[in-house]
Amino acid sequence: MIDVTIRSGSKPPLGGWLPPAALSAPQADVLNAIADELIPGGEGFPPPSGVNVVGFIVRYVAPSGQEAKWYPFLTEAEFARRLDELGSAFVSASSAERVQVLIGLERDDAEFFGRLRDMVYYAYYSRPEVVAAINRNLEAGRDYRNSPQPYGYTDVMDDWDDDLLSRVKGTYTRTEDVVRLPLPENLRP
Amino acid sequence: MATHSETDVLVIGAGAGGAAMSKRLSDGGVKVTCLEQGDWLHPMNHPHMYDGWELERLRTWSWHPNVRMFPEDYPTTGNAAPMMMNGVGGSTLHYAGAWPRFKPVDFRKGTEHGLEGTIDWPISYEDLEPFYAINDAEIGVARRVGDPGNPPRPEGWGPASRGGKVGRKMGRGFDELGWHWWPADNAILTREKNNRMACNDCGFCLGGCPRHAIASTDVSYWPKALANGVDLRVNARVETITTANGRATGAVYIDRTTGARSEVRAKIVVLAANSIGTPRLLLLSAQKGYPDGLANSNGLVGTHLMFHSWSFEDYWFDEPLEGFKGPEPAVLYSQEFYDTDPSRGFVNGFSLQVGTALGAANSALGTNTGKIAPWGAGHREFFNKHFAHHALVYVQGEDLPVRTNRVTIDPAVVDSSGLPVPHVHYDLHENDRRLITWGQERAREAAEAAGPVIDMATTGIGGVGGPPPGWHIMGTCRMGNTPEDSVTNKWNQTWDVPNLFITDASSLTTGAAVNPTSTLQAVSVRAAEYIKRRFADITSQTKTPSNADAPDF
Repeated sequence: MIDVTIRSGSKPPLGGWLPPAALSAPQADVLNAIADELIPGGEGFPPPSGVNVVGFIVRYVAPSGQEAKWYPFLTEAEFARRLDELGSAFVSASSAERVQVLIGLERDDAEFFGRLRDMVYYAYYSRPEVVAAINRNLEAGRDYRNSPQPYGYTDVMDDWDDDLLSRVKGTYTRTEDVVRLPLPENLRP
Repeated sequence: MATHSETDVLVIGAGAGGAAMSKRLSDGGVKVTCLEQGDWLHPMNHPHMYDGWELERLRTWSWHPNVRMFPEDYPTTGNAAPMMMNGVGGSTLHYAGAWPRFKPVDFRKGTEHGLEGTIDWPISYEDLEPFYAINDAEIGVARRVGDPGNPPRPEGWGPASRGGKVGRKMGRGFDELGWHWWPADNAILTREKNNRMACNDCGFCLGGCPRHAIASTDVSYWPKALANGVDLRVNARVETITTANGRATGAVYIDRTTGARSEVRAKIVVLAANSIGTPRLLLLSAQKGYPDGLANSNGLVGTHLMFHSWSFEDYWFDEPLEGFKGPEPAVLYSQEFYDTDPSRGFVNGFSLQVGTALGAANSALGTNTGKIAPWGAGHREFFNKHFAHHALVYVQGEDLPVRTNRVTIDPAVVDSSGLPVPHVHYDLHENDRRLITWGQERAREAAEAAGPVIDMATTGIGGVGGPPPGWHIMGTCRMGNTPEDSVTNKWNQTWDVPNLFITDASSLTTGAAVNPTSTLQAVSVRAAEYIKRRFADITSQTKTPSNADAPDF
């Protein structure tokens, strides 16, 4: 059997850890509930809990046995503990109550909250369903793709305005024309 | 040393300067060995096809070695976060390929004002121009000729990268004001060349280029250099440059995979390890006869560090600009305020360089300036108004070469081979602070002329987090006019050791107000041509000649 595990190494694994950090079902429920408050669904956009942001985030949390040397600097154990602290009470709370909890977390533990928020943002906007929503709902994003490669955007890229370029004026100082200039008064010795 | 080999020229560093040097020398039949502490980068090591591509900028594709912590990296201490990569290609593996040239006035700043440590270059734009042209052809520059704000440049390998809606928008702004602007030259293929694919406008240049459209030297210079027979040794970390009787004799390096030490003996040594690695290695090579480090009898090694002065200005407009498309950092530039005007209260000038943004996550997370989308009820409205409505204006100023901005050795911290790391100290000069403040106002004028602007944000003076970002590291072993004002003569020969050359951005005398790689590579190509033609003279010299006495080409 081929072992696809990315071993503990001296470089951060591109794309995240495989196998990823393990969260229990209740911990995943908490994370989904947090994500749904950070980026509420609606206006044609799905809620984070509906697009598996958890599956993205757990690849970047350092799994058991790995140091949290790289962003987001969270170990599986620490992350799980944080989610357990919120627990089922958070999941079953009303949206308004959850928001109050998150406001408190942002105030009292800004570093952890910032990483949590940023990971949810990175995860949500990487999901194909969200990219499709951007394509559908935003004129500016109608051409946006899931990743830069392999397609790029040459097929939908505007070129220069030649009329504008025909009007450009400019000049430069030739070598032989460089002369001593008076220093600004405030820079004189 | 028991394990040793011999060569004509030993090049240290396989990045921008070292690759250009190795290829040019080997074109002429010179036997070259190159030592590189990193390894080859595989195209699949770029993040462009992963769903976490935007996040990877904070991990595997951070520009700062202290964040990546790769084993081939060496950390830095001090107050700056320099952009450095180690590998075949060096920091060109990570650069965006913006490809402006210095202007003629940039070589005469000592004449123009001479403020702080500013001196004239020992060469002129006209001296360097033929080598700019050679280098442009090697890398396959994308260019639109006809810029009236610069001396004429030859046709590119391909046309300029297309500007997209961002280019049209900001072009209209500069046009409205009657200011100079022009599509950026880029070291990015817009036409296939030598198994390198043309750019497909994917928009993520600062993660390197898996298509090999960006001219990192692993794909531009190295295939030809290897075909010429250059002996490129990877994972080879140089520990010290050796000398005997006033001349360099080679270098001792550590194989990072085995820990074994080997020596390469050479008739000429060329150091091209970047503006932090080069002074570090010279200082670590202190030995009998060179108690303060090699080539450092005047104490100038490591000094006059330049980063450019910066402010990043994010502007959001009321129409779609689709900034996720096209070359990321250099769409177009304005050099309306490039030259010194003392009435402004500062010397030197700046470029306004227009760039783009990345993807949706980057937009939600503050683009370039920390303007983060709020969480909760306001998130959707903010995101929908800001995403892909954005243009970035870099205010890129020429910073003064200041002696106290410098690289030294920090003996308290070592790399993975146990070698002490460089300490980097940089403070922005008051002149440069004023320059950037004034430039920020001009950037805003341009954006508002393009308008309507719906939101804006700035990193503030000096880039994110205070000191400039350190993307462009220059000047720590500068070429100059006398043994008292510089580390090398006009042919890149160190004043103290005639067969020791320095050909990376550390040799740049001043930094201009544009990206430096095209200039440092032109300088390296010029030095290579000199070594090739004057090999016999150089190998018989016991003293580095003055600029006036040195034999010409």
